[in-house]
Amino acid sequence: MSTTRHAIIEEIIEAVVEGEPEPVIAGVRRALEAGVDPETVLNDGLTAAMTSVGDMLDRGEVFIPDVLWSAEAMQEGLALLLPHLSEGASRSAGTVVLGTVQGDVHDIGKNFVGLMLSGAGFEVVDLGHDVTAEAFVEAVAEHGAGLLGMSAMLTTTMPVMSRTLQLLEARSLRSGVRVLVGGAPVTQSYADKIGADGWAIDATKAVAVAKELV
Amino acid sequence: MSDVAPFTPAVRLSHLGDDVKTRIFEAALRVLADVGASVQHDEAVRLLQKAGCSLDSDGLVRVPRPAVERALSSAPNAFTLYDRDGAAAMELGGHNVYFGTGSDLMWQYDPHTGEHRPSRLDDIARVARVCEALPNMDFVMSGAYPTELDPRGVYAVTFLTMMRNCTKPLVIVAESEIDLGVIIDVAADVRGGRDQLRERPYFLAYVEPVSPLSHPAESVAKLLLCADAGVPVAYVPAPLLGATSPVSSAGHVVQGMAECLLGLVLHQHRAPGAPFMFGVNQGTLDMVSGQPSYAAVEGFMNYLTVVEMAKWLGLPNWGISGCTDSQAIDAQLGLEVGELTLLSMLLGSNLNHDVGFMGFGLTGALEEIVITDEFVSMNKKLLSGIPVQDEDLAVNVIAEVGPKGHYLRHPHTRRYLRKGPGQWRPRLLNRDNRDRWVECGGLDLREKARRKVQAILESEGPPTLDPVLLALAEERVAALKASPKVGSPS
Ligand code: B12
Repeated sequence: MSTTRHAIIEEIIEAVVEGEPEPVIAGVRRALEAGVDPETVLNDGLTAAMTSVGDMLDRGEVFIPDVLWSAEAMQEGLALLLPHLSEGASRSAGTVVLGTVQGDVHDIGKNFVGLMLSGAGFEVVDLGHDVTAEAFVEAVAEHGAGLLGMSAMLTTTMPVMSRTLQLLEARSLRSGVRVLVGGAPVTQSYADKIGADGWAIDATKAVAVAKELV
Repeated sequence: MSDVAPFTPAVRLSHLGDDVKTRIFEAALRVLADVGASVQHDEAVRLLQKAGCSLDSDGLVRVPRPAVERALSSAPNAFTLYDRDGAAAMELGGHNVYFGTGSDLMWQYDPHTGEHRPSRLDDIARVARVCEALPNMDFVMSGAYPTELDPRGVYAVTFLTMMRNCTKPLVIVAESEIDLGVIIDVAADVRGGRDQLRERPYFLAYVEPVSPLSHPAESVAKLLLCADAGVPVAYVPAPLLGATSPVSSAGHVVQGMAECLLGLVLHQHRAPGAPFMFGVNQGTLDMVSGQPSYAAVEGFMNYLTVVEMAKWLGLPNWGISGCTDSQAIDAQLGLEVGELTLLSMLLGSNLNHDVGFMGFGLTGALEEIVITDEFVSMNKKLLSGIPVQDEDLAVNVIAEVGPKGHYLRHPHTRRYLRKGPGQWRPRLLNRDNRDRWVECGGLDLREKARRKVQAILESEGPPTLDPVLLALAEERVAALKASPKVGSPS
């Protein structure tokens, strides 16, 4: 890569890290005009920037809202890039139906997981909180979602997760969707017990597990 | 009058001027009147309308200043909680300070094995037993969630377990107005009737709206039931700084006050003069780890402000103490427990819950309760202030001893220690020299606390509950569990 091209990529990275959408868009546009391979813009620019933002969060150098701003800026750049990418690379990471289960109002963690998943390129259908098993199942069918994410923060509401799994089974939808569960009382062993496909302790891990599952 | 003299600090902390408090209150009034709130309970909305609020086309309820002022003037500025036997135990109001545990922890450090394991029903019994034995724990909250039980009717089972294992007043959590109703029935049986319960409340119910500005049907239904039954209620939001409230301390307090005060307006309209507790929980979302911190300094800043606002409004307040973000029973625990507990005492914060919380409200340790008890004991002495009578100024004693003498044999010294204020004695903290400390096993505070917990658990528990009452209570709880209306949504 020539130095100018290299400089453009650096600028894109910096703009994503700063969470500034305009410079990201400008950077992507310039990169395309300069003939940089769109896959390179994606991998060495946008995606690399998000990885470095994630590392910075791990080291406590940025705050969670910074990561959300970066993810949004990155998505703006990606939207511009999409038409130039090959089929395989441009495919969205997939659709996730997400919600906090019935009887439970705790939605901060679920919102955070949703923001991180959309930052990672998933289409997130957020059903909010107090979501019944029926509503989860209907949304999975309606959106043809490959992933279902359920959050429960109360021991009393955890059984809704297992009910949803049973209902998916009953409607013959279970094989088409990977089910991810989480929330403070939910453990890997609980996830295994109810037959979920994945569990994650926090939003960052949730993205990693979601990517593995699709 | 309480049977036990309440602790009121002579040394106090207050840092807000009238102008600042007015600005904060006015801002909360603007949120109530201009922004409004979502109230998801039809009857409550109608009551609020009768109280002068409007239900607008955007579906939000807006609360005008006079409605708030009316509620503030009818709400009592103090009320009393009574113990199981009906004796006055906590006068909540003014600068009286009380301590107790929190609820619902999902994990425990097992007091026998030290293992970190899921909470069980017997943990609730132990929390109650330990609090019963500790002189500076004034009330009991469950401390644990019984993860081994079927969730149906679980809070009524929890209530029964607390009631059986201690006589101190309780602070309770309920899922909805249905289990709360059963808990009220059981408490009324204990008192000998609904009116007697109203006269001598045995417990306070802890109810939370959902920040930002949302009042779900269950929360509102519990609030109204408490108003009707004359059961004291704390209607306390838990906005998390930067996540469900503005990130600024003042913004956090303003929003939290608006949430709590809407509850007050509703509650006082339904039952003017019924006991209501004001508060805003001081949670802070740690913006790097994503954890809801109970010990972030920003949260402490909000807390100082909220407690001062409660005093200014003339309402008894809900407070917090004895908790830590640490995952271990370690020095961080000691430091955080100490700071928050001392702040509560200096502020004259009334009902301070969450003693024994660690790891972001997920883990409990009985050792932490014992350590907090010791800390409170020590600081009750500190904050009682120094007496300055002639006897205390001791000029004649100084004259009698004179230059180059000593005080060890002077009668004043002995009298003061034996009959006067004495010297505060630690029960856990070390005051031994190195050799003696080593001789006694070289125990650190954690181990001493653990042994104290063991000793309490091995000692005789509180007087048992009248078997007739117990049978009646168990029947009520069994009926609740069998009712199709309760329990897990599954
Ligand atoms: C804030 C809070 C509230 C707020 C919720 C506001 C809101 N809009 O969400 C309010 C005040 C309303 C509230 C109410 C109640 N609460 Co509450 N609450 C909390 C608290 C302090 C923090 C939760 C939080 O937001 N954490 C921050 C986020 C970022 O973390 P997180 O939620 O854990 O999510 C992360 C992971 O779990 C994971 N994750 C979460 N969801 C998902 C989903 C998927 C698919 C994946 C992969 C991962 C994942 O990733 C997230 C991001 O990293 C917790 C204590 C705790 N430490 O959990 C108690 C806690 C959950 N609450 C508790 C209780 C008891 C209640 C009440 C019953 C209290 C009452 N008196 O009424 C009510 C219940 C109301 C109801 N029906 O739901 C108990 C639960 C105990 C139990 N065993 O069930 C807890 C543990 C506190 C305690 N010890 O008492 N609460």
